Amino acid sequence: MQNTIKVERAIKNMTQADLADKIGVSRQTINAIETNRYVPSTILALKMARLFGKAVEEIFTLEKGD
Amino acid sequence: MRSKLLLPHRFKWIGLFVFIPFLVLGLLNRYKDFKIEALTFYYEDGSIFTPVQNLTDELALTGSIISLLMVSFAREKQEDEFINHTRLESWQWAVLINFVMLIIATWVFYDEAYIDVMMYNLLTPLIFFIIRFNWVLSKNKRSEEKI
Repeated sequence: MQNTIKVERAIKNMTQADLADKIGVSRQTINAIETNRYVPSTILALKMARLFGKAVEEIFTLEKGD
Repeated sequence: MRSKLLLPHRFKWIGLFVFIPFLVLGLLNRYKDFKIEALTFYYEDGSIFTPVQNLTDELALTGSIISLLMVSFAREKQEDEFINHTRLESWQWAVLINFVMLIIATWVFYDEAYIDVMMYNLLTPLIFFIIRFNWVLSKNKRSEEKI
């Protein structure tokens, strides 16, 4: 699964730490998601989408093989 | 998502500091025949216990296991779903590595040396878990963006 969190963060001018604070997870988690090492839970994906004001599908997209 | 089985974060460090003296005690007992005399017990004949029993090794092993359990089960500062995921994955990894190494050791070590293998094997699942879990977290931390 791919995501555009890094881009969304840049648009909102947020650091990984800012985003982590806002949705109540560790910076480690944000970093692991951005580097495609961890697929977030639905709850976390929905929280991020709400924060960025977009639909989940605009941020997270399926890749070949998913 | 909170895991109820975990201890407060400070136990990570408490466990680590407590582990060292117990480990040293265990190694001294095993290789230098060091015994704490106060821990020698005498049992009457006919008791289920060996008549003279020194409990230094029991103390060392129990202390080592409890302290490593403290380190393993200490909560991270912010225990969230990714940390939890890494934790479970590391247990899986530790059990697998442990048994692969045990199979290899079974064919490589014999007699007295194999007793040592069995003894270390009592602690290695916890040690492999601790190393793997902290290695993944620190690798991930290193790749975090610097502010």
